[in-house]
Amino acid sequence: MNSIQRENAPLANYTVSSARMEFDKFIVPTVTIFILLLLFFFMLFPLWMILKLSFFKGGELALANFTLSNFQQYFTTAHTLRSLWHSLYIAGVTTVIVTVLVFFFAYGMTRTTIAGKTFFRNIIMMPLVAPSIVQALALIYLFGRNGLITSHFFHTDWNIYGATGIIVSEVLYCLPHAFVILFTTLSAVDIRLDEAAESLGASPFKVFTRITLPSAKYGILSSAALTFNLTITDFGNPVVIGGNYSVLATEIYAQVTNLYRFDLGATISIILLVPSLAAFMLNYYISRKSFSMISGAARPFIPPTRRLKKILYSAFCYCMAFSIILIFATVIIGSFVKVWPYDWSLTLAHYKFPSIGGYSAIWTSVWISLIVGVVGSFITLVAAYAMETRKPYFKQVVYFFSVMPAAIPGLVMGLGYILAFNKPIYWFYGTPWIVVINIVICNFTLGILSSISNLKNIDPSIEEASISLGGDTVGTFFKIIFPLSRVAFVQNFTYFFMRSMTTISAVIFLVSATVHLAAIEIIMLDNDGWTASANAMCTCIIAIVFAMLGVLHFINRWVSRKSGGEVATG
Amino acid sequence: MSKNLVLNNISKSFGSLVAVDNVSLTVAPGEFVCFLGPSGCGKTTLLRIITGFEFQTSGDISYGDINLNNVIPQKRDFGIVFQSYALFPNMTVYQNIAFGLKMRKMPLNLIDNRVDEMLELMGLAEWKTHYPSQLSGGQQQRVALGRAIAIKPNVLLLDEPLSALDAKIRVRLRAVIKRLQHDLGITMIYVTHDQEEALSMADRVVVMREGQFRQVGSPWEIYKKPKTSFIAEFVGTSNFFEGRKKDDRVLYGQSAFKVSEIDTADSEKVYLAIRPEDIEIVGATVASDDCVASNIVDVTAELVTFLGAVVSILVRFEGQEMLVDIAQKEFAKKPIKEKDKMKLYFPPDAFHVYSEIFKKLI
Repeated sequence: MNSIQRENAPLANYTVSSARMEFDKFIVPTVTIFILLLLFFFMLFPLWMILKLSFFKGGELALANFTLSNFQQYFTTAHTLRSLWHSLYIAGVTTVIVTVLVFFFAYGMTRTTIAGKTFFRNIIMMPLVAPSIVQALALIYLFGRNGLITSHFFHTDWNIYGATGIIVSEVLYCLPHAFVILFTTLSAVDIRLDEAAESLGASPFKVFTRITLPSAKYGILSSAALTFNLTITDFGNPVVIGGNYSVLATEIYAQVTNLYRFDLGATISIILLVPSLAAFMLNYYISRKSFSMISGAARPFIPPTRRLKKILYSAFCYCMAFSIILIFATVIIGSFVKVWPYDWSLTLAHYKFPSIGGYSAIWTSVWISLIVGVVGSFITLVAAYAMETRKPYFKQVVYFFSVMPAAIPGLVMGLGYILAFNKPIYWFYGTPWIVVINIVICNFTLGILSSISNLKNIDPSIEEASISLGGDTVGTFFKIIFPLSRVAFVQNFTYFFMRSMTTISAVIFLVSATVHLAAIEIIMLDNDGWTASANAMCTCIIAIVFAMLGVLHFINRWVSRKSGGEVATG
Repeated sequence: MSKNLVLNNISKSFGSLVAVDNVSLTVAPGEFVCFLGPSGCGKTTLLRIITGFEFQTSGDISYGDINLNNVIPQKRDFGIVFQSYALFPNMTVYQNIAFGLKMRKMPLNLIDNRVDEMLELMGLAEWKTHYPSQLSGGQQQRVALGRAIAIKPNVLLLDEPLSALDAKIRVRLRAVIKRLQHDLGITMIYVTHDQEEALSMADRVVVMREGQFRQVGSPWEIYKKPKTSFIAEFVGTSNFFEGRKKDDRVLYGQSAFKVSEIDTADSEKVYLAIRPEDIEIVGATVASDDCVASNIVDVTAELVTFLGAVVSILVRFEGQEMLVDIAQKEFAKKPIKEKDKMKLYFPPDAFHVYSEIFKKLI
């Protein structure tokens, strides 16, 4: 390429290498193609296999093989069709309850002056550290046939198995997810609007219904859509506490594992995909809108809350926090007592896991999660950088496929992986690597969204400054962008690690005789009647995640202290 | 550094929006050129085309005999100074300045020398190991200047480099930049919307509007002979009247002004522009004997505003508001109060005549 000559020494001898710049031109296209291939091969291909198997006889793609018989069978068999109504009912009820509860909880955190907000905020996030099975395990110990409260205190035969149990456990599971959205929404809405309305003579009730609620409507809808999606796709809680009450997720599992009806499993997957996709699209559409609602002038000052209101909100928040703590305490205590709820003497016997996996499953989970954490947060950051900063061709396509995984229930993805990769040429099938890939892909969306929002905070001129000084893509990324994204990187690592330690539905189809995972062991143990050991396994996961959060907390403090002198000025 | 930077018929459109409209310019070696214009006039887009961050829709750009159209920004060897400084927050002052040299694989001892030279030049030696966030805005922008100059750029491009700084530091840094340009003989292209910056620093000012070059000339020419009514208003400020041309006079209300430039008007309807400081006050700044009688008018002072060096008087003349600036010293000799009657004199050669007007007159 034509390089501009310079006459003045001594710099004339040192120019930006032309060869390096030629090479540099291939970096972004290569990364883009790599990400696209990754998503095509590990997301679209498995989905395609599911579609094929559900619509074509024997999964053979041919016009003659096209059939709707699988769907016909599903919709005409009373006991399978039931699972659809059950799922919609559970998801609907859970959504309403969660949205109402969390709205008032978030309101308490953002609009009142109650004490102990940090405590409440930490507690409501707790369900994230455990698999979505901890709620069901605890509820069974408390309200099951031999439940502490039902049979021990009240001597009643009523128990929580079935729809009630699923709904209560799903509510407790969805709290943190809904809270994050509603808390952000309510923090962003300018509280001065409320004051202005009050000063104009509006009653507190009027202010609430006319100002607060409407200004938070997108957040409310968004959190409702997310809750609906989480609930309808959840597998762990319904499989443990549902009893005979089948939902779509458990029905897929039953068809595949018990009856070997892969075609029906695929068909039900498609049926499950419809509502979860709809909820996802709604959420996607809303979250685009809601950004414009955020007022830059929102300020954190909250006027003192009236006494009665304060007492009511405190009581409410303590109730919520108590419920969550009760869940965790039950499972943890349950893992250390001899026979719940009859013999309260302490024992470590339940930690001698009777299953094949046992502690090796825990270690497998830990190292898989570490790899998932590093690979997931790194890949999403690189992808976000290539897309957001370098704006390659097909940027929109890459973006669309990058956010798509969030719309696909883990169980469906897992089934797709069996259908797609259960062939000898895919050497990674049946190894931990397929689990790593699956978890990274399933959680790609949040990783990439948070990486993008992090990159958006970096002044675009910084990138241009590097380029104008002769910086190439790889150099700019590692010398400037990556160091500036360290905090976001650690956050993403945390997220990927937690998801990997706690996910059940995504990987339940991928565990095998040789690959055992801690979260799946819980189900296996519970299924085989070792409930206390299931609790013990759950406790182990919780302990590991908490330990990791502690470590990361220190890393983050260290990282931000190190970068204390270099906070972006842009 | 004896090469011209040549822009030849450069155009750039974003969809249907034409950001840069067929402009040509030759920047001589060591010249200081300012692109001056209101926001959205295309000056930053043009600068980005020169840097290589944007590609022109049509036209050529070359440096010396090398066509730059297909040269990537990394290979243009142009230094850029950004409005937001764009220092690398994770690097110290030293590392920031060394960055471009490292990218050129310069040996470390030479980098050391060059960076020290830059630190010396910029008066930043004691801040060498500091991070950008530990520096003030003015210091940060000096680091950015040093970083851009360290690579001995062919051309230094500055995109509103001072507009994020406060007024006093802005004036001081103007001098720093001007001195650098003088001492190092670097070709500089400087984008700004601040006319004072452009007039005080540039060898040549390019006034841009709607993607076009409206006038190219020395600061003196731009100020004293604005080619269009827009420039008369945008650079400095002007009072405008709409009048009718009759022989060698311009009729406005009851007056028939004598106007030196009248020959340049080619239509009957003309617009006169006169700068507030060119208007004289009869009996105060000018004796009535020295005036052309037809150019004296009676007005009433409506508002007197003390601005420090000058006093600005808002008067009403033939129903239209008009500004008159007089030096504070002159004002002190014969102060004027609001509602005072006064006689103004418009020197015939102070008028500029335009056949169009860029804005609506009252």
